[in-house]
Amino acid sequence: MPNFKTIRQRSLSVLMLIICSLAILSAQSPDPREYQIKAAFLFNFTQFVEWPATCFSTDKSPFIIGILGENPFGSYLEDMVNGEKVNGHPLVVQHFKTLEEIKICHVLFINLPQTSKLEQVIANLKGRNILTVSDMTDFLQEGGILRFFKKNNKIQFRINPEASKKTNLIISSKLLRLAEICLNCQTPNE
Amino acid sequence: MNTQKNAKEILLILSLTLLSTLIFAQAGDSLLPSSKLKKLSLEELMNIEVTSVSMQPEKLTEVASAIQVITHEDIQRSSVLTLPDALQLAPNLQIAQANSHNFLITARGFGGLPSANGDLSNKLLVMIDGRSVYSPLFGGVFWNVQNLMLEDLDRIEVVSGPGGTLWGANAVNGVINIESKSAKETQGIYVSQETGMTSALQNITEMRYGGMIGDNLYYRIYGQYFDQQRSSPSDSVNRNNMAQGGFRMDYYPSKANTLNLQGDIYSGIQNDLSNLTLSTGQNLMGHLTHIFSEKSNLTIKLYADFTTYQVGNSSKPQIYDESTYDIDIKYRLPLGLRQSILMGAGYSYIQDMTNIQSLNPESLPMPVASGFIQDEITCIPDLLKLTIGSKLLHNVFTGYEVQPSARLALTLRKSHTIWASVSRAVRTPSRFDVDVTEASGQSLSPNGFVSEKVNAYELGYRMRPIENLSLSFAAFFNQYTDLESINSDTSKLTPVIIGNGLDAESWGFEFTGNYQANPWWRLRGGYTLFEKNVWSTNSSVLPVISVNAFEGLAPENQFIIQSIMDLPKNMSFDLTGRYVGELNATAPTVSTPAYFTLDARLAKHFKHLELSIIGQNLLAPEYLETGIYPIPRSVYGRITFRF
Repeated sequence: MPNFKTIRQRSLSVLMLIICSLAILSAQSPDPREYQIKAAFLFNFTQFVEWPATCFSTDKSPFIIGILGENPFGSYLEDMVNGEKVNGHPLVVQHFKTLEEIKICHVLFINLPQTSKLEQVIANLKGRNILTVSDMTDFLQEGGILRFFKKNNKIQFRINPEASKKTNLIISSKLLRLAEICLNCQTPNE
Repeated sequence: MNTQKNAKEILLILSLTLLSTLIFAQAGDSLLPSSKLKKLSLEELMNIEVTSVSMQPEKLTEVASAIQVITHEDIQRSSVLTLPDALQLAPNLQIAQANSHNFLITARGFGGLPSANGDLSNKLLVMIDGRSVYSPLFGGVFWNVQNLMLEDLDRIEVVSGPGGTLWGANAVNGVINIESKSAKETQGIYVSQETGMTSALQNITEMRYGGMIGDNLYYRIYGQYFDQQRSSPSDSVNRNNMAQGGFRMDYYPSKANTLNLQGDIYSGIQNDLSNLTLSTGQNLMGHLTHIFSEKSNLTIKLYADFTTYQVGNSSKPQIYDESTYDIDIKYRLPLGLRQSILMGAGYSYIQDMTNIQSLNPESLPMPVASGFIQDEITCIPDLLKLTIGSKLLHNVFTGYEVQPSARLALTLRKSHTIWASVSRAVRTPSRFDVDVTEASGQSLSPNGFVSEKVNAYELGYRMRPIENLSLSFAAFFNQYTDLESINSDTSKLTPVIIGNGLDAESWGFEFTGNYQANPWWRLRGGYTLFEKNVWSTNSSVLPVISVNAFEGLAPENQFIIQSIMDLPKNMSFDLTGRYVGELNATAPTVSTPAYFTLDARLAKHFKHLELSIIGQNLLAPEYLETGIYPIPRSVYGRITFRF
């Protein structure tokens, strides 16, 4: 005669196992692939944007990709730019905790908590030749230049042309063509 | 006692949980190598799916069939120079190279006599961007005129096993689906020169320019030239010079509509048995796709294809000319929540014309009308899927033909799929089977010729035990009836006729794998076992010559392994090893010994420039694949410029 108690216990344990597995599955952090691809985008942007010569003190001074806030890239961005150059300027990644730490920077990936005052951050960068990039919602409305978003499980980007004009950066037509242009993203009044 | 038992169970649960954590943690770790990512263009980056491959909804065909996909990267990272070379990378195809430009290509055997250069290999359907390229003359493919820019090739899907339900006649043993990239993905300038350095078979020059007009119309134009040499000093006849050019335009008027137009034109001279063969061809094709919703779309395909072969340099050359006009409509729609219907209709008007005396009539219209319906039923969501369907086609030789199939796929945890299928496919007759006459004008097939048929049973298992390893196993058992035979008929001047006097069984399995060992090293490969048994169904069949000629010689064992390795300093080093077992023939046909060949490629990448050295068949000065002319060891230098 089958031992019903054992059967019940077995099924209970199997059920628990399934629940545990599901919990683990759903608790997974976003796929690191996403930030690997975004790192490749950042590297690519350096090839399609022109910075004024005044941004570099010498021909050999570094080209700096900065990350403001928490670093979502792990070491991918460093791996990506290692040994690479932009018009002779070696690419370097720098991490900034606060706005004040930013001395020289050419591309800045902003990854601050959604609650922080993005508008102030961008206002503080005003007049500097920095390509600002972020995942944050409202980034373009607050005056940021380029924002990543996901569509059909693929990474796309949107550009605020008004904001880029104010930085004296020349964004190549190829980049603009591939981007979604945000037409109603007026930069905040000064 | 009871507490002890409980403790045991808790321990069991904990350890299983730990195990599953490890498995899932690994599944999330689907990293792409940085070195590879940074070489991608912005367009390519925008096309990468964020979640890894196994999580994507798979294509229907991938769920329950023995499909192998050769990607653009697999080809770029190999010693492949031409399209037939690229097909050698599919572990589930059997290929024998006859010379620099002729190949025997088949799946699951029945490729015809190797020394016939693949001209008797008639059980495969081959399509380039949806355009069928097998010839109605003999049911096989003239591989020497099937060229395209490998740089602009997106993928080659090779389905071994019947594909008649979806694709049509001739898909008895397999389907090769060659897909080129869209014009949007091939923007810019590409120039490449491949030059043979030692006893090489060919020099290839290629050029492409891709641009755009306005915001949503992309185009490319290309040209290529093949200068192909004889494969050995003993071969005085097989040279081939071929020039080809073409274009592709992709227009995206709105999110829901895409329109594509493409065409090619080629001309070549083949120096064959002191006769010059002139091959020319043109084709033009359009695709219109409308997306109604994620689950519903409509595709209309239209094409025209013209080829001409002119043999002999005398004042009255022999000409074989064929024209095809084709329209196909496919419509996919959901039915309820759990069913997806795919249906289609097609009409193909093929007409040929010849002055070859042994082909009667001189010109024959061969219209083919077909329709199919397939229903994909999700029996249990994410677990069990049943796909049933059938194709009905009408042709001039045999009238109506039915090609049904049923496929069942059981998916466990998204990374394990067990599938089984039963299907029927036919090879409808070609001109070669029914219309050949002997010198006296008598038909060689006086009793007519019916379609060759197969009933195929397949069982497969696809798995991705860890994120960077995928394995696939497919076993098959095929029952053929009415295969082509040569029968004796003593009442005739030439005492033989063509008949349907052979039946056969074949069985075997295909095992393939792909392993990303680490970000800079990937291995892929596969093994195929093939066995067959052919017998005559009546006493007039001449078994030895029939079996050798039409059903051919297939290796019992073959395997391929490809290593794709990134080296520091922007270098790459790639190897491909290929083993093909003996082609064991009964006298008077000669056997071809087993061989193992190794190809290697070493490349250095600069910003817009790539320099590479490519070696083919490095292990021996020469070896035989088809039993006639040997294929030499050869080394090429290649300069590629992309801007």
